[in-house]
Amino acid sequence: MRGLILSRLAAFALTLIVASSILFVAVNVVPGSAARSALGIDATPQALARFEAQHGLDRPLVVQYAEWLGKTFTGDFGKSFQNGVDVGPELLRRLPVTLELAIFAFIIANLIALPLGAFAAMRHQRAADKGISLLASLLGAVPNFWLATLLVMVLTLHFRLLPPGGYTPFTVNPVMNLKQMIMPALSLGIVSSALLIRIMRTAMIEVLSSDYIRTARAKGAKEGIVVMRHAIRNAMTPYVNVAAVEFGFLFGSVVVIEDIFLLPGIGSFVLVGIINRDYPVLLASALTITLVVLIINLIVDIVVGRLDPRRVTRHQ
Amino acid sequence: MTTAARKPFNWRRWRLVVTGGTIVGTIMLLAILAPWVAPYSPFDLNVAQMLKGPSAAHLLGTDELGRDVLSRVIHAARLSMMVAVLASLVGLVFGTLIGTLAAYFGGIVDLVLMRLMEILFSFPAILLAIVLMASLGTSIFNAMIAIGIIFIPGFARLARATAESVLRQQYVEQARAIGMSHTRILVREILPNILAPLLVEAAVAFSYAVLLESALSFLGLGAQPPDPSWGNMLNTGRGFMGVAPWLSIVPGAAIFLTVLGFNMLGDGLRDAFDPQLRDE
Repeated sequence: MRGLILSRLAAFALTLIVASSILFVAVNVVPGSAARSALGIDATPQALARFEAQHGLDRPLVVQYAEWLGKTFTGDFGKSFQNGVDVGPELLRRLPVTLELAIFAFIIANLIALPLGAFAAMRHQRAADKGISLLASLLGAVPNFWLATLLVMVLTLHFRLLPPGGYTPFTVNPVMNLKQMIMPALSLGIVSSALLIRIMRTAMIEVLSSDYIRTARAKGAKEGIVVMRHAIRNAMTPYVNVAAVEFGFLFGSVVVIEDIFLLPGIGSFVLVGIINRDYPVLLASALTITLVVLIINLIVDIVVGRLDPRRVTRHQ
Repeated sequence: MTTAARKPFNWRRWRLVVTGGTIVGTIMLLAILAPWVAPYSPFDLNVAQMLKGPSAAHLLGTDELGRDVLSRVIHAARLSMMVAVLASLVGLVFGTLIGTLAAYFGGIVDLVLMRLMEILFSFPAILLAIVLMASLGTSIFNAMIAIGIIFIPGFARLARATAESVLRQQYVEQARAIGMSHTRILVREILPNILAPLLVEAAVAFSYAVLLESALSFLGLGAQPPDPSWGNMLNTGRGFMGVAPWLSIVPGAAIFLTVLGFNMLGDGLRDAFDPQLRDE
């Protein structure tokens, strides 16, 4: 077990370093654009050169990368090109918004997927199963930003039930916070449920056709107990694995939804970084999202190793 | 093969492929024929006809500049299909190359290439696309490249797995034994035998490309106005949600239908060619 965790951690560290360098290169592929964007198109060559020297942008990319990585590791994300504000504290302020959104959306996705997937499996090949499978295919094709727009149209403009966007911290006004979060979370969660319904259905069908379920039924166990105690529990291993990866995916796709609902999270910070070509902001926010996704994947790897004893022996 | 040919057409097996194929085919056809089938030019302004609801003259209404929404949606299909095809092609070509080389040479080449692919795969796709767009600059060509790069690891994984099973076949052994060059073996023996599953994967990549392109254009990072794209139409339409809901509904529905069509086609092809499901 310890060997598995150590090897996973080593792979994680390697991934993080390579991922950070990919991000760094991706952002810096076009040289000189940061200064031009910060100073505007009328900036003189002298002003541009001064800006680049001031922010160390005139040095070789490798040197810039090494410095950025070193500082980032000590928690120093640099200062915004645009307004000189420290990026690190701003990230910490924004992280809870995005986490709340992702967790809320994830809960919604599971609340839809678990019962529907399990029910479809119990009615395998019958009308309910076909209906639920069709629903999953339809949901899987809905762009989340379209769903978000339709929700605003119906719930805000037509029924005037929810505010169109904005953010109030939970600690300030919990009711307002939930009212503002429900549509963004639904937009992400409903679309995510499509994949999870399919996974739950497949996992349950597999379990329900296994020998121990047949044995349990043969012993005269009630169908409810068979499903609840034996089937769902065993279907959870593959489900949890996919669901956790899906959580990472959710976390990675918050950018558009945060933009639509004016949520001041990490995702909208990425956009701020792009629109202003504010590289420290863009790098720090993109790296934070990547880091969270990688940590989730790491946890999945280790926990699934625990759940499934065969995997552990293979790694030792 | 001969017994399969004699069986009557199995509608159940091909139903997804036929339905998905019909949707995709129609959209492709509209995209190709856009200048001839669209009732109006997608750029013609007509201030007198601003924000008019669906009518006989404008089946899907007009937008905030009086342009015909139906014509713009049809022309946007062009752009979407072009991005989907080219981005998938970028992913297919480079992914196949990397995956096949990794499988063929094995050892350290395999390790380094596939580890790199794993890392690229662990990035949230839309985030990677957004960051790439930031540095490449916002244009539809760059959106295509960014989306293509995202597809590379998926194709590489699949190509490697398929190539490995092909490499174990006798004819590859024989090709090696008679001293065929690496390039010749890769191109003549391996490539043709791994192409089918990769092309099925391309159908799935298509649908994802349509989604990603529209998301990028929605954020203002893809197609630039006045060029119509489903993403930027939807984004502009949101500003007129209360007075002209069709501006938000129509482009979103177009994305939805296209993605659904490609998903059905991809799933259907995968099932139809899956030997385990073949005789079900």
